[in-house]
Amino acid sequence: MKRLDVIVIGGGLLGCFTARNLCRWDLTVALLEAREDVCTGISRANTAVVYPGYDHKPGTLKAELTLRANRAFGMLCADLDVPFSRCGSLMVACGEQGEAVLRKKLRNGLESGVPELRLLKRAELLELEPELTPEVTLGLFSPNAGTVNPWALGIAAMENAVQNGAEFCANTPVTAIRETEGGYLVETEGETFFTRAIVNCAGLQSVAVQELVYPSPVRLRITAGDYLILDPLTAHAPKHIVQFEPERGKGLTAVPTVEGNLLLGPSERAGSDFGTDRDGLDFVRALTRKVLPKVDLDDTIRTFAALRPNPERPDGSSIKSFVIDRPAERFWSFLGVKTPGLTCADELGLYVARQTAEALNAKENPAFQPVRKGIPKTHALDFAARQGLIAEDPEYGNVVCFCEDVTLAEIRAAIRAGANTVDGVKRRVGATMGRCQGSRCRLIIEELLREEGVYEG
Amino acid sequence: MKVDLLIIGAGAAGLSAALGAWEAGCRSILIADRRSHPGGILEQCIHHGFGADLTGPEYAAMLFSQIQKTGAELRMETEVLSISPSREAVLSSGAGLERVRFSHLILAAGCRERPLGALNITGTRPDGVCTAGQAQEMMNLHDRDPGERILILGSGDLGMIVARRCVLRGKQVIAILEQAERCTGLAKNYHSCVEAHSIPLWTRTTVTELHGEPRLTGVTVRELDSGAERFVPCDTLLLATGLIPEQTLVSNLGTPPWLHLVGNCNRVHDLVDSAAHEARIIGSEIIKKA
Ligand SMILES: Cc1cc2nc3c(=O)[nH]c(=O)nc-3n(C[C@H](O)[C@H](O)[C@H](O)COP(=O)(O)OP(=O)(O)OC[C@H]3O[C@@H](n4cnc5c(N)ncnc54)[C@H](O)[C@@H]3O)c2cc1C
Ligand SMILES: Cc1cc2nc3c(=O)[nH]c(=O)nc-3n(C[C@H](O)[C@H](O)[C@H](O)COP(=O)(O)OP(=O)(O)OC[C@H]3O[C@@H](n4cnc5c(N)ncnc54)[C@H](O)[C@@H]3O)c2cc1C
Repeated sequence: MKRLDVIVIGGGLLGCFTARNLCRWDLTVALLEAREDVCTGISRANTAVVYPGYDHKPGTLKAELTLRANRAFGMLCADLDVPFSRCGSLMVACGEQGEAVLRKKLRNGLESGVPELRLLKRAELLELEPELTPEVTLGLFSPNAGTVNPWALGIAAMENAVQNGAEFCANTPVTAIRETEGGYLVETEGETFFTRAIVNCAGLQSVAVQELVYPSPVRLRITAGDYLILDPLTAHAPKHIVQFEPERGKGLTAVPTVEGNLLLGPSERAGSDFGTDRDGLDFVRALTRKVLPKVDLDDTIRTFAALRPNPERPDGSSIKSFVIDRPAERFWSFLGVKTPGLTCADELGLYVARQTAEALNAKENPAFQPVRKGIPKTHALDFAARQGLIAEDPEYGNVVCFCEDVTLAEIRAAIRAGANTVDGVKRRVGATMGRCQGSRCRLIIEELLREEGVYEG
Repeated sequence: MKVDLLIIGAGAAGLSAALGAWEAGCRSILIADRRSHPGGILEQCIHHGFGADLTGPEYAAMLFSQIQKTGAELRMETEVLSISPSREAVLSSGAGLERVRFSHLILAAGCRERPLGALNITGTRPDGVCTAGQAQEMMNLHDRDPGERILILGSGDLGMIVARRCVLRGKQVIAILEQAERCTGLAKNYHSCVEAHSIPLWTRTTVTELHGEPRLTGVTVRELDSGAERFVPCDTLLLATGLIPEQTLVSNLGTPPWLHLVGNCNRVHDLVDSAAHEARIIGSEIIKKA
């Protein structure tokens, strides 16, 4: 039986970053993921915003971690070789009700120490973001908000963990957990592991996983939301993240993504699978027409749905804070972490990793290497650098995904780095994400998966 | 490198434009195409009906043999990455990057198919949903089947031709769905594909929702006149819902006098002869005017 110090259950953003941070100590770590790849759960579909931290009550863990995470995000992404765009955000209001919310957020933010926050009047707003509806009356501008691709980030964290000695096991759902002398027996469909400690990062299933061995203080009410993605060539896309209807939660968020698309969403509705819903999409479209009236929704190239785990107390009341439960000395659970879980993934991972290391009396790992190199992105390079890559490997000269300019060499590298489906390739190098949605390169990628021995037949 | 005429795309239109320009006296022509064989979309159209009832590959071979008699240079497996307003293109191939300066540019880049995300279809995003052209490529160039029980959305020429191909490969085509009152493709294709193979054509219907994960298990079909919806089990949905001229490469250039669009990237042509004819004339006129 394999023996480990820590098993992390679930390869979403939180699991990947928990595993990464556990490697800062002298611990043997395995990350067990039920599905074929990381980031196929909540982390596959979200708003991709790195929040500045004014949304939360000052003094709470959420406020503190978000602020710290935002400040460190550029560094984190540089270490992990993940594109990050600090494009800034504008939360806008059309009328007094919304303005009151903005003023409250500003006060929150100032009290928490969010830097460079300020309110902008209509004229200043329209100067900064001419695509906004002229109906706007006030905006809260935060130059430090940004956006990152959630899969790119999760994959980078997982690879960094593996590079530091952690083991990643895909297709390994945990089916049972039993307490035993000095730790736990963790059963999966294949083998049984012994581990001294467990961090449960099972996202939508986190309560179910905790209940394999302990009762849960919360239950998760799952809701869904819909998004649209527009072609990078669409005219009138905003340059900043635009958030609207602050009086009703976050309402609509429009994000100019690192890939250059415009992301719009989410709606809020009942639902328990990743299928999209007509009313939900219509809600997003209607809000977009209102806030960004010039955006042409016919430029939509993809729609998708997200699932939200809403933690609730047994009496049904909802919980705003992160629920990090520790039902036993050596067992931690992230129970339904929603926004800003992407922003805070590294901070949350470190938070629990530190407690785990203390509980296990682990020494620091002096060899920990925080820097991970990703697959070179040909399209981001200048002429000389791209020429240099082709000289090393001619496959960098063959473009396979024309929409996103992804080469054969990148796709092969993605497969060799663990992509075992076309989606896995997409999450690693962006192929099939563009305006034709893979209708011209999917078959070539499938052939490559065969050639590399991943697909059979 | 510097050429008088750079042509992007070696499909029927690009090759024809080169012929037109050569005949008009142009002696410095470079054609670049990302594919490994000239002919563009013709390569996967193995049915008859091109020009004098040739197959697509036969038609392509005919054009290619004419090009070989000219001095136009053909570079395959070469992607044109970008075009700058100062009339310079960047080409990429296994041999490296190359800057090519040109006096005239003909874009003959063909068209792309409208993807699922652009349609108003909700639900899951399962395997088993792809564009009709992709299915055609799968069957005709890779000898693989898109699925067993197939619905086809859109009754244009592509939808009908692919439906027939599926039937010939022993697959069940449950129906072709069409939102209009009648089939939107050419009558000859309606007779040779739909009628000849008794493929059901459901007019005034569309697909509103997909079901199943990871593989498609069925779709919600809506009768547009009554609004009635019903579940139709299937494992494959092919989208033949429209072709979009591929102009991405020049989308930021405006309309400079040196830029010319021919073939399907100018407007979608039903018949190859029409695309080829248009391109040949434009190729020749550019040179005569210059
Ligand atoms: C609609 C929406 C929008 C959001 N927008 C933002 C945003 O803009 N900015 C931001 O900061 N945050 C945002 N978030 C929050 C962020 O997306 C989440 O906090 C984060 O993705 C949570 O990741 P996770 O690792 O907890 O869950 P998941 O990504 O779901 O990962 C859990 C993993 O556990 C695996 N698993 C489950 N059961 C088992 C088992 N028995 N054995 C092994 N593995 C198992 C699953 O397969 C899955 O891969 C948003 C969230 C939602 C829902
Ligand atoms: C399924 C189908 C069935 C048809 N059936 C018939 C029929 O029966 N009879 C008939 O007469 N007509 C038919 N047609 C119509 C006819 O085949 C087409 O109109 C014609 O072939 C289009 O030629 P084209 O050169 O414009 O485009 P394409 O053939 O698409 O050529 C475009 C070329 O440009 C290349 N390219 C694009 N961008 C770049 C870049 N950036 N760098 C390098 N290369 C690039 C592509 O690789 C491609 O080779 C059919 C069409 C289809 C799709």
